[in-house]
Amino acid sequence: MRLCRGVPLGLAAAAALLLAGCTLRPDDPRAGVTVEAAVFEGGFGIEWHKSVARRYERSHPGVLVDLWGDPRVDEKLKPRVLRRDPPDVASASLPVWKLIVAGKLYPLDEALDSPSYGNPSKTWRQTLVPGVLGDFRYKGKTYAVPSALGAWVCWYDKRQFRKYGWSVPATWSQFTALCDKMKADGVAPLAFQGKYPGYAWSTLLSIYQRLVPFERWYAMQDLRPGAFLDPDFIRASRMMQELAVRHFQPGAMAMTHTESQMEWANGRAAMVFCGLWLKNEMKEAIPDGFEMACFPVPMVEGGKGDPRALYGGGAENFYVFADAKRPREASDFLKYLLSMESSHSYVQRLDTLSPVAGSTDGLTISPALQSAVDVLRGSSRIFQDRIGSLYLEFNSSVLQDAQADLLAGRCTPAAFAKRLEAGAEAARRNPDVYKPAPMGVPALQ
Amino acid sequence: MKNRGQNVFIATFLGPPLLLYAVFVLLPAVNAFRYSLTRWDGLGPATWVGLANFRAIVASGSEFLPAIGHNLFLTFVPGVGILSLALFFAYSIHQRIRGGRLYRVAFFFPNVISGVAVALLWVLIYSTSDVGLLNGLLKLMGHKQPIPFTESGRLLWAIVPMSIWSATGFFMVLFLAAMENIPETYYEAAKLDGASSAVQFRTITLPLMWDVLTTGIVFLVVGGLKFFDAIYVMENGRPSGSTHTMSTLMYSKVFQEYNVGYGTAISVMLFLLVLAATAASLRLMRRERLEY
Repeated sequence: MRLCRGVPLGLAAAAALLLAGCTLRPDDPRAGVTVEAAVFEGGFGIEWHKSVARRYERSHPGVLVDLWGDPRVDEKLKPRVLRRDPPDVASASLPVWKLIVAGKLYPLDEALDSPSYGNPSKTWRQTLVPGVLGDFRYKGKTYAVPSALGAWVCWYDKRQFRKYGWSVPATWSQFTALCDKMKADGVAPLAFQGKYPGYAWSTLLSIYQRLVPFERWYAMQDLRPGAFLDPDFIRASRMMQELAVRHFQPGAMAMTHTESQMEWANGRAAMVFCGLWLKNEMKEAIPDGFEMACFPVPMVEGGKGDPRALYGGGAENFYVFADAKRPREASDFLKYLLSMESSHSYVQRLDTLSPVAGSTDGLTISPALQSAVDVLRGSSRIFQDRIGSLYLEFNSSVLQDAQADLLAGRCTPAAFAKRLEAGAEAARRNPDVYKPAPMGVPALQ
Repeated sequence: MKNRGQNVFIATFLGPPLLLYAVFVLLPAVNAFRYSLTRWDGLGPATWVGLANFRAIVASGSEFLPAIGHNLFLTFVPGVGILSLALFFAYSIHQRIRGGRLYRVAFFFPNVISGVAVALLWVLIYSTSDVGLLNGLLKLMGHKQPIPFTESGRLLWAIVPMSIWSATGFFMVLFLAAMENIPETYYEAAKLDGASSAVQFRTITLPLMWDVLTTGIVFLVVGGLKFFDAIYVMENGRPSGSTHTMSTLMYSKVFQEYNVGYGTAISVMLFLLVLAATAASLRLMRRERLEY
């Protein structure tokens, strides 16, 4: 009987405690301001982001940055975005364009036009590499900022090249001849991340760029009818297929990115096409004495495209949610994340490039990164795909499958182009797919 | 008074779980039917489109039809192997072969590993890099090039031995329990009449365990139609048109393409197909029940 009377009392006490807990919000003014940041934990990890968060907290008393990461952060964020309870700021593979069009992201222009950290005479916008803010502009506003500056290059080990007497190719025929020589020397020419056929898209678009003037290259980006049926695109697809069938490491189509890159790091494959995150992603696997360096996708003899243009641009984008509890504080944290001071530590800790202009000036950087800087400095302009971020269904259901079939030799380059054109036509007809106004060739900045 | 107290007591215990079930299972399931009739990206407002999503699902060129084909493949191809081996092992152990207890544990063991862990294990077995067990063996046998077993074009076939390995033990235990319930006297009488082991299996064992066999087939059909985890793991979260099953396609549409209306229409189709397949299995396997 005594027990029975005690139970309701206990329940009431527990309920009271729970209710009391609910009223203690983490961002209660008494506890200071909390900015929640969720970051994709991929090739660059999140240690650098955490270190910046701690520095930000020290220089902004009363502000706490709750920064966390996960390799599958997007899967954790999707339900939170749907129930309108997102973190304040994130960098994840979410459908940025869908979020922008649905009004789920917060415009960053107020922060971009405010004085930058470290150099108040310049706005934050003015401190960034020209053009990197162009990817996610909608109705005159900017909704995402990149935290990395990327470039699509071919990585190799200088020491291995010296050992076998191989030379860095400048043209496509030199490149394929080099692949033949590597095979004759018993080394697989190219590692490939076959479980993610999308890795081939940047290479294929680079080859296509070498063949055609930018007017035609950007026609495809604008989903102009017939763009994928361009004979030069079919030719580029054929070149990509030949590379895959003849020069990819045997078994590559069943390898994940880490497995294939491990083959490259171990010297069983001589080269790999990848972005600048490769070194950081494979830092535990790259052996001592490995002299990592890179070269751009070689020019194609007789091609009408700019031979010095480079596939690259902003990457690892950050955005603030419109439903964020602290959107202005989150924008300010982003500004700090992309300050000159933070970008110096970014370049040095992660061995990669920052979108902050001049962030490598005066720094001692690794030979691998210097090699990427040389490639960037030697380029006439950078260009980047936006089909993948704009047309999700086309990317997921058409492009990935068609590429896997092209690379495995299961479809001809002409059939591949037809499939892409059909997918593009479906996207053009779908009223739910947001299609920005044709952008043509962006002006050189 | 006593009855009323009893009812309150029962309601106290049944109420919370029923409430949780209604909130977290029934309500979302009913909502799925509603969403399936809309065009919705999960972010903005939904637009009512009637049966348009279902028409798109069954239209020619839709990804759904090949996905059903993959589900049927993953139901019947490993299913035949699983049922045959499970019956064979169960009957062998039931015949008191030497080491029967050990086999019972050994064959059941893969079933205690989660589906994701099984898939990860087989990814390593099939790997084309140095860790790949199967390609390592093939290399020892003189095969020069590794075979990309988990490449999209081959993946469904690669899943067949994995499914057989992981599921046979469960069905073996299920069938063995049914066999052990059959009175020994039937077998003794059959032996006196000179019936061979095969005849005893066909005329005594199989008819008397028919209900359990039917249950096993229903499990296999439902499992095959819901197939998700191995494809998702072995395709690194990005299944292709040659590997999508109905469940992975639904996931991809909802969470990768944000086509929530279409994705939930797939889930409604999946529900209807599982219901129909279960009913068909029970109907096809229906026989006169033998009492003993």
